[in-house]
Amino acid sequence: MFAAQLPPLTASLFSLVAIASLLLSFVMLGSRWLTDYLIAFAGQSWLIAILSAAVGYYGHYPELYLIAVLTALFRGVVLPYLILRIIRRLKVNREIHERLSPSACLVVGAVLVLFAFVVSSHLCQALGLTGTAAVLALTVMLSMKLIGFLMLAVRSEALSQILALLVLENGIFLGSQILVPGMPLLIELVILFDLLVVVACFGVLVRYLLAQTGTSDASLLRRLVG
Amino acid sequence: MRDILLQIGQVLSVILLAPLLQGVILQWEERVQRAQGPGVFQPYRDLWKLFHKQAVVPQTASFIYWIAPIVAFTCMLTVPILIPVLTDFPLPQSDMGDILGGGLILTLGSFFITLAGLDSGSAYGGIGSSRAVMLGILAEPTLILVFVGITLLAKAMLPFVVNHLLVQQPALYWSPAHLFLVAAFFILLLVETDRLPIHSSTHIEVYMIEEARILEYSGPLLALLKWASMMKQFILYTIFCNVLLLPWGLSKQGTAVGALAAAAALFGKFLLVAVSVVFVETAQSRLRYYRYQEPLAASFLLAILAIVANQLR
Repeated sequence: MFAAQLPPLTASLFSLVAIASLLLSFVMLGSRWLTDYLIAFAGQSWLIAILSAAVGYYGHYPELYLIAVLTALFRGVVLPYLILRIIRRLKVNREIHERLSPSACLVVGAVLVLFAFVVSSHLCQALGLTGTAAVLALTVMLSMKLIGFLMLAVRSEALSQILALLVLENGIFLGSQILVPGMPLLIELVILFDLLVVVACFGVLVRYLLAQTGTSDASLLRRLVG
Repeated sequence: MRDILLQIGQVLSVILLAPLLQGVILQWEERVQRAQGPGVFQPYRDLWKLFHKQAVVPQTASFIYWIAPIVAFTCMLTVPILIPVLTDFPLPQSDMGDILGGGLILTLGSFFITLAGLDSGSAYGGIGSSRAVMLGILAEPTLILVFVGITLLAKAMLPFVVNHLLVQQPALYWSPAHLFLVAAFFILLLVETDRLPIHSSTHIEVYMIEEARILEYSGPLLALLKWASMMKQFILYTIFCNVLLLPWGLSKQGTAVGALAAAAALFGKFLLVAVSVVFVETAQSRLRYYRYQEPLAASFLLAILAIVANQLR
């Protein structure tokens, strides 16, 4: 663990960036507009890029700079641009059928964060991980995953679902950056290209959905077709 | 002796500067909408005018109607004794109550105004009281969570301790625990000073929340109520600035020059907060009333995040 020997001010800036990226996923929960989701996702990706550059600087992992640049470029620019193109083509700019109102989502999300915190502190005790950075990374990771699942469950617009998947993935990436910063570069590259494929597939899927059902509302898909 | 004078100075500065803050906010709100706006001293002139008017009392009014303005005003005179307005060290009698005590007294004032709104039996007073109580029910848990967060942060419930701690430890100041508390308290500030983006800022009775409770009042009693609400705004801004957001620039030795400079610095900080309040009020589009729970849910969430972040510090 690199985070044990950080000076206190740097440590608090670290946790500030991590929790700010968690906050941006709450922006997605609390808003109804698809462009808000997109901006929040892009901001989150930039924060994660800053975080991995900082981990690279303080933990002396030079390859993390490259990953930071790639993260900012792919997650922060290319993926949002692709999704923006889909949004423009769809002419749907907000979530219409809500199963749970945004304010209720925020409160449920807060409960999920508490749950993630309890789980990760128990996990760190069981694994013998010391230092608050591990608990912080695990908490942020787990709660971003849970928020992603929550969004997948309560939002029915196809684009919200793509973004929910991406938030889920961002959470895993953020956690791995702090917990195991020395991951091989190749794995990171593979993950990034995976994401590109995911978004491209979703683009095709949304088009198909439009052609078949006339809307991009995933809640209308109730029947499995073999 | 000097400390007693300083304590009196704290209360006096709240009494005297509160209308000026209100005037500045009202004028800037008009200015950003490219209107001229009233002068910054207009609240003083309004108070002067109201104090020279006759009081008209509704026939249905009971004794609550008479004591509510006095209780509200007295509460707002009590709270500045407990908080660091000018000095960063405790003055005589400032150990009467901690943060929770101050919150209790602030709430007592608005509780009596709510009773007075119901007292005369008019429809608008009832609407105003019920809305204010509804918002209060949602804001109160968040307020308690913010207090809990502050207590966990500083391991103390005294505002002076929090102030010293934040000045001494920049790491704590920049920690997410503190910054999220600041954000949660900012939303509470908007709720408590009646500046939520959920109603029209023009004075139409249908949209009023806090103002509707005092529609039955006139003359000196109305002046007392208005002054009390301006002082409440001033006090909340003071807590926000001197305890949470900008804990610097308070008088450390308690000399006369230091106290004056602290008052000037305080007002400078308030202008910063006022700019952001005006920005929020202008930039955020008005929501319909039944979306009042959204900002409060966000504030609740921020308080939860602050407490979680504090555990990870």
